[in-house]
Amino acid sequence: MADALPMRDTAHRKDAPWLTLKMREAMEAWLFISPTLAGFLIFFVGPLIAVVWYSLTEWNLLTQQATFVGLDNYNDALFRNPDFWHVIRNSVVFASGLVPLNMALALALALALSRPFRGVVIFRTVFFAPVVTSAVAWAIVWKFLLQGEAGFINQILALIGIDGPNWLREPNWAMVAVIVTRVIKMVGLNMILYIAALQAIPRDYEAAARLEGASGWQIFSWIIWPLLGPTTLVIMVITTIGSFKVFDHIYQMTGGGPENGTLVLAFYIYQQGFQFFDVGYASALAMIMFVVVMVLTLVQLALRRRDT
Amino acid sequence: MNTTMKRMTSTALALAMMSGSLSAAELRFTIWTGNEAHLKLLNGFAESFKAKHPDVTVKYETIPPGDYTQKLTFQLAGGNPPDAGWLMEDAAPTFAAAGVLENLGPALQKAQGYDFADFSKPALGLWTAGDKVYGVPFSTSPFVIFYNKDLLDKAGLEDPNALAAKGQWTMVKFQEVAKTLKDATGKWGFEFKDGQGYDTRIMHALMPPIRAAGGDVWANKQCGFDKPEAVAAVKQLHDMVFKDKSIAPPGEQGDYFSGGSAMTINQISRASLMPKAGFKWGIAPLPTGAGGESPVIGQAGIVVFAAGKQKELAAEFVAHMTTKENVAGAAQFFPPARKSVLDSDAFIKSNNLIPPEQMKVVGDAISKGKVLPAHEKSPQILAAMKPRVDALWRANADVDASLKAVCAAIQPLL
Repeated sequence: MADALPMRDTAHRKDAPWLTLKMREAMEAWLFISPTLAGFLIFFVGPLIAVVWYSLTEWNLLTQQATFVGLDNYNDALFRNPDFWHVIRNSVVFASGLVPLNMALALALALALSRPFRGVVIFRTVFFAPVVTSAVAWAIVWKFLLQGEAGFINQILALIGIDGPNWLREPNWAMVAVIVTRVIKMVGLNMILYIAALQAIPRDYEAAARLEGASGWQIFSWIIWPLLGPTTLVIMVITTIGSFKVFDHIYQMTGGGPENGTLVLAFYIYQQGFQFFDVGYASALAMIMFVVVMVLTLVQLALRRRDT
Repeated sequence: MNTTMKRMTSTALALAMMSGSLSAAELRFTIWTGNEAHLKLLNGFAESFKAKHPDVTVKYETIPPGDYTQKLTFQLAGGNPPDAGWLMEDAAPTFAAAGVLENLGPALQKAQGYDFADFSKPALGLWTAGDKVYGVPFSTSPFVIFYNKDLLDKAGLEDPNALAAKGQWTMVKFQEVAKTLKDATGKWGFEFKDGQGYDTRIMHALMPPIRAAGGDVWANKQCGFDKPEAVAAVKQLHDMVFKDKSIAPPGEQGDYFSGGSAMTINQISRASLMPKAGFKWGIAPLPTGAGGESPVIGQAGIVVFAAGKQKELAAEFVAHMTTKENVAGAAQFFPPARKSVLDSDAFIKSNNLIPPEQMKVVGDAISKGKVLPAHEKSPQILAAMKPRVDALWRANADVDASLKAVCAAIQPLL
């Protein structure tokens, strides 16, 4: 290798004597990353810039007529449209319900399934399977189970004397139903991340703590939980982002109803852009969503830094 | 043959082939059916078009009905418009106002023996503006009551057609029949269209009883939901759902087609599901009310897209698809808007699942009916209505207040 490099260098110098070694290396590096960079620019940065531009226009998808309106779309969403704040409230309620429930359940499952025991793989598979199940099939099955009086869930509740609500037809219960069914669908992913993190914790720590007489709860709260910190942060960030972006689940299960009780931001953006063809307004809403998610992520990162 | 001759011959052949491929054209036509019988019929139209245009082929592209308007919009916005296609009634005013539909008037006038005047005028309402023709209705399908004869017999009830013949098939009678059916059989007396009357089909659920009562959801840019006729009609429906418990309520599935509900409202295209239903059935007209006979019609039209590259050819194909002969051929699936076909014996006998006397119900409804309401801002109006209509479908709802809220929400859009 030591011999090969100067030879290659000499050859290059003959072709392009004005290039220094540093410049050549930089050029090679750019060439290597260029396919990924091109994809990133074309499929991420480009559309992002386009959305910023669209958000400053009144653009009808069907007529293809666009007029520059400056910040009017933002002004309308933030100060003139009462539906927008209702939608933001719904998104916050959805995220506030989903994120803690998902994380708590994922951690509980991971603690139960991180150690090897007979059949552990089957249990892990059972809890992970909904993650890879079609969202449409999942929603259809749950809609069926959550029917009113004739629904399976309500019939089970009736057996123990509980008169279940009409889950998907009452605004508050519909929100509970979409949160819980979403948690059941996605919890397997976070469970796997927690299992991986738990398995990376050296057993010696726990053994040493037990020798010192620590209880199970003390081991969890003083050793395991702090060591899970980085994983918890990642899970919290991706689950929060995911909860603000939820669309398919709402589209299939409630269509934003009843009484707009589950009309969340991503669905509202879809409605404005692809049902009302108002691409400019939808783009402004998408930019607001981008900022909200970005701020939440930065806050979470800042809190984590302060804790450590 | 010497070498020069061979070269000349092969060059001539190549040129001939090239010119052939240049004159050949393919029309892209979007539809929302995947039904084999429908496709066979449509392919038949494409074949017969070859008599005049031997080099033209038609490629039908099926888009599921739920996504149809949206995907079509994406194709238009993305610069990849189909040449022609079906269009649903609720999208017609929006598309026409956006200027994306081609005026078919000149092509229809040019078509030999076309007889545009043969189309019933009310059926053309959505598709014409002045002398411009933005589409030709290919399916003008009235809503009818599908009933389960076995359950009616079990409950000891008279056939709705017999009641209609005596002029007794009224909304009052309909409520009574639905309740008796529920009490006697345990099945739902009635279910809204495809069980979606509380969600995507709110207009199909509310419109027929409101029109029967002599009202309308809107007319002349004025909301009609809060007018006395509409309020009375909706109160009656509300009572049927929550007091009589005879209509499958929100959150429950009745499923008429598997025997879970004794009656439903739908269009004759759903008759294709009946052979598998396993019970005796029939179709009857919609019950009448204070407004007399008020059949409600669902419609779909054929349009040519202004951004298409072969507009003239596509318009010619639309004219071909909607000649008297071809409309008559399609009538078994898609009830016609041509008066000559509607009045013909062939139409009454066209559907092998529905007996002629019941097909007469369909014909009568088409000639007397009014098309479902449509508006340039239909998507916004439906979205504004939906949460207010949701509030209506609660047992303790204040119907008057809910309907006033519907009007407050949609009036600015009308």
